[in-house]
Amino acid sequence: MSAVSVRGLSKAFGVLRVLRDIDLPVEAGEFTVLLGPSGCGKSTLLNAIAGLEDIDGGTIEIGGVDVTQREPSKRGIAMVFQSYALYPTMSVRGNLSFGLRVKSTPKREVEKRIAWAARLLQIDELLDRKPSQLSGGQRQRVAIGRALVQQAKVFLFDEPLSNLDAKLRTEMRVELKRLHKELGATIIYVTHDQIEAMTLATRIAVMRAGRIEQYAAPDNLYEAPATLFVAGFVGSPAMNFMPGRLVAGTVDIGAMSVPLNLYQFRSIPNSGQNVILGIRPEHVTLAVADDQRPAIDASTLFMEPMGADTLGWFQCGAHRIAARLPPQVARGISGNVRLAFAMDQVSLFDPVSEARL
Amino acid sequence: MREATHQARIGRIGLYVLLIWTCLFFSIPLLVVIATSLKTSDEVRTFSIVSLPMTPGFAAWAKAWYSACTGLNCGGVHVGFWNSVRILLPSVIISVLVGSVTGYALSHWRVRGANIIMLFLLLGAFIPYQVILYPLVKMFSTIGIYSSLPCIIAVHVLFGLPVMSLLFRNFYAGLPEELVKAARIDGAGFWRIFAWVMLPMSVNILIVATILQTTGIWNDYLLGLIFAGRDNMPMTVQLNAISTTSTGVIEYNVNTAAALLTALPPLLIYFFSGRYFVRGITAGAVKG
Repeated sequence: MSAVSVRGLSKAFGVLRVLRDIDLPVEAGEFTVLLGPSGCGKSTLLNAIAGLEDIDGGTIEIGGVDVTQREPSKRGIAMVFQSYALYPTMSVRGNLSFGLRVKSTPKREVEKRIAWAARLLQIDELLDRKPSQLSGGQRQRVAIGRALVQQAKVFLFDEPLSNLDAKLRTEMRVELKRLHKELGATIIYVTHDQIEAMTLATRIAVMRAGRIEQYAAPDNLYEAPATLFVAGFVGSPAMNFMPGRLVAGTVDIGAMSVPLNLYQFRSIPNSGQNVILGIRPEHVTLAVADDQRPAIDASTLFMEPMGADTLGWFQCGAHRIAARLPPQVARGISGNVRLAFAMDQVSLFDPVSEARL
Repeated sequence: MREATHQARIGRIGLYVLLIWTCLFFSIPLLVVIATSLKTSDEVRTFSIVSLPMTPGFAAWAKAWYSACTGLNCGGVHVGFWNSVRILLPSVIISVLVGSVTGYALSHWRVRGANIIMLFLLLGAFIPYQVILYPLVKMFSTIGIYSSLPCIIAVHVLFGLPVMSLLFRNFYAGLPEELVKAARIDGAGFWRIFAWVMLPMSVNILIVATILQTTGIWNDYLLGLIFAGRDNMPMTVQLNAISTTSTGVIEYNVNTAAALLTALPPLLIYFFSGRYFVRGITAGAVKG
């Protein structure tokens, strides 16, 4: 277990700058998730930390030691890949022991570690099989086992669950969380799946076009997104956005005036400024009679039942608004409705800089 | 329905008749050669070329192997056979091994100027080698190994490398790069990854490469004639010498037997590993 510190990291493929001046401090024992759409540079960043990708500038420290110029195997890391990357001609035992044999680890130590990892991952019975005789979930376990036996200080995961079906993915997610708890290891984990990120991470770094947009704990990220991009990317369905104008402590959106006395501004905004108001679907409800909350007229478009709750879609002027509703309530809805907003849960963004106000 | 199956059956029969005729037509030369090699000299002279041998025997084969004459040498083609083997084994082993390492390096390691190397490999694979025969002769005589066993082996390795490298490069490029990354993180270097991870996965392509090189080198005539030197003439060169010797009566039965003996190794390879051979051709053709 040791901390990782990335400072000023940059990397370009020709003219394309895939990583721009990245700073990423990861504390010992932390589970950091790099989250972002494809092409945002998250895998490149992970590969750079692993030493598999040359970098153009910046430093990488692992456990307080500058490893920027070191070979991957000399950095004290282990890595799990999306395609598992098991050596197809070796048995599971051979796969697990390969790295240790390369480093000429004593035989007894190798066997001890394999036994330990196999028990931890429940792959004892598979040790003599070839990777081709394993299911996807079993292969993933072996790939994790191969990382575990290294007893590395830092574990790197590159979209390890993407190739699994939905059910297995949920199971493995729980498994990974358990492993992190049991080992207390430092983990850096790349994914484009925000559910995975939210459930696993102690901190999430949301990336876009080679930059980190926000690096914060999942709750913080969800409740107070730092940029318009983070607000739109994290959360499913996405946050509702409506343009408005800031007038004397309220936001005017069409006919609706939203009071902001509960909103914590990061800086004092200018009156008369254009803003984008964001509100999550679960904070939009049907207005009741003489509702004190700000409300807006809308017409019902359609309902998406999701089991635990139903997603209602409404047209409100030029905007489409999603609301997460209890199924019983949703069943009775049609025609014109009035939607109420939970005002203590809104986010305001500057339409130009896209930063949170 | 019934009508349709009836017609389909007639179609099938027609198809088979055509295929069998085609087969026969194309195998006539081979059959004639085999038949002739089993005849005695008298029979060859008296009867038609397509007649079957009346008392088939391997006398001509034995003569071709042990005592057929090329000029004043009457040692038979077995001399050339062993020469061919001595040329073949090191040429095939070296070109396949070096080609596989080159292909592995080009596909999985960031080699500076890899694209330019690829371009030269493609050029090397497609420029007819007759074009550079003369400069090669000059080169080898300058360094003093012209007309020797090392010389002909070097020539075969040189001419084999472009195709071998491309073949292996294409094969290794199809393997996930994460395998190499995983092995690097496990601490393995260039050679260890090659020997422990890549080579064990390359059995099929190694067989394909070996077959391609073996048939190519065994069937070579021109390079052997030019570079091998008098003492190392491969079997093909000797065969040509036997069949063009014009002293006395031309022994067609011995000539055909010698031809069959020369063609036997590649023929056997085609028979026993045709499946790999086809795979190798397509691998080279589609992706090359």
